[in-house]
Amino acid sequence: MTETWFVILALTVGTFAIRLSGIFVGQMIPQQGPLASGLRAVPGCLIISLVAVSLLSGGPNEWGAGLVALVVAVATRNLPITMASGIAAIWLLRHFG
Amino acid sequence: MPLAIGAAIYGLAFGLLAAQARFSVIQVGVMGASVFAGGSQIVVAQQMVAGAGAVAAVAAGLALNLRLMLVTASIRDVYAGRPWWQVALGAHLTADENWALMLAQSARGRNVGYWYLLGGGACLVVVWCIATVAGVAFARAIPEPKSLGMDFAFTAAFIAIARSLWTGRRDLAPWLVAVAAVAASIHLAGFAPSWALMVGGVAGAATAGMLHHD
Repeated sequence: MTETWFVILALTVGTFAIRLSGIFVGQMIPQQGPLASGLRAVPGCLIISLVAVSLLSGGPNEWGAGLVALVVAVATRNLPITMASGIAAIWLLRHFG
Repeated sequence: MPLAIGAAIYGLAFGLLAAQARFSVIQVGVMGASVFAGGSQIVVAQQMVAGAGAVAAVAAGLALNLRLMLVTASIRDVYAGRPWWQVALGAHLTADENWALMLAQSARGRNVGYWYLLGGGACLVVVWCIATVAGVAFARAIPEPKSLGMDFAFTAAFIAIARSLWTGRRDLAPWLVAVAAVAASIHLAGFAPSWALMVGGVAGAATAGMLHHD
């Protein structure tokens, strides 16, 4: 409970600082070059790493459901539909796979 | 309006995930208004469920939000010459959705600026809070999340977010390096998942920096 409040506070302060810093040091952030490309790539690399961590800790059921979710994500580009398909797929695989 | 509906459904989805991290209804409501960055909220909730610890959870969430620095930097003229409280409020209420909407409107030649951004952000934050709170309240009524496959909801959510972040073939090499770095960190180096995650993110970003500096 207390830990959760700490996490919320730290994320609040940090995220606000990030938003503000874009305004005040925006002209100092390079728009081109290795640092700019690297910074732009952070979110995608972080999210795909999260996918990798969770699929590596799972087994064939998780891999199968991950594949279903990937196909749905590519086809629909829709978060709730992808989540619903992934949950449905893992449920089916665990109960009938 | 379509953006508000999108935010509402996304918010419901986050509420379901937050319930697994044992966030209370009040915590989810406060977090929605104070953080107001959905992707990082999902990442943090997942890290808490995975037992990564508070520091690792915050680090992962903030790393994802570094992107917002580029977002506010790209429209910094909008905040220029305004009193400090308007700058602070505008910065806090700048999200991907209202930012993109404002840029799209001004590309069509409409005269939109600070108040357009603020109005969009205010709508989004209200919808986001209501939807996330509704999601967590609903999810707490589900008795056995794991038997329903709810534990996989995070993975599916990340796959959907990855799809939305994919910009084209130039992402392929950095993403493959990130996945390889995660696999090596866990299986060869025996890192905890939260550290493997950071290694993957940094390795992938470094690859992008080296390959695509145009």
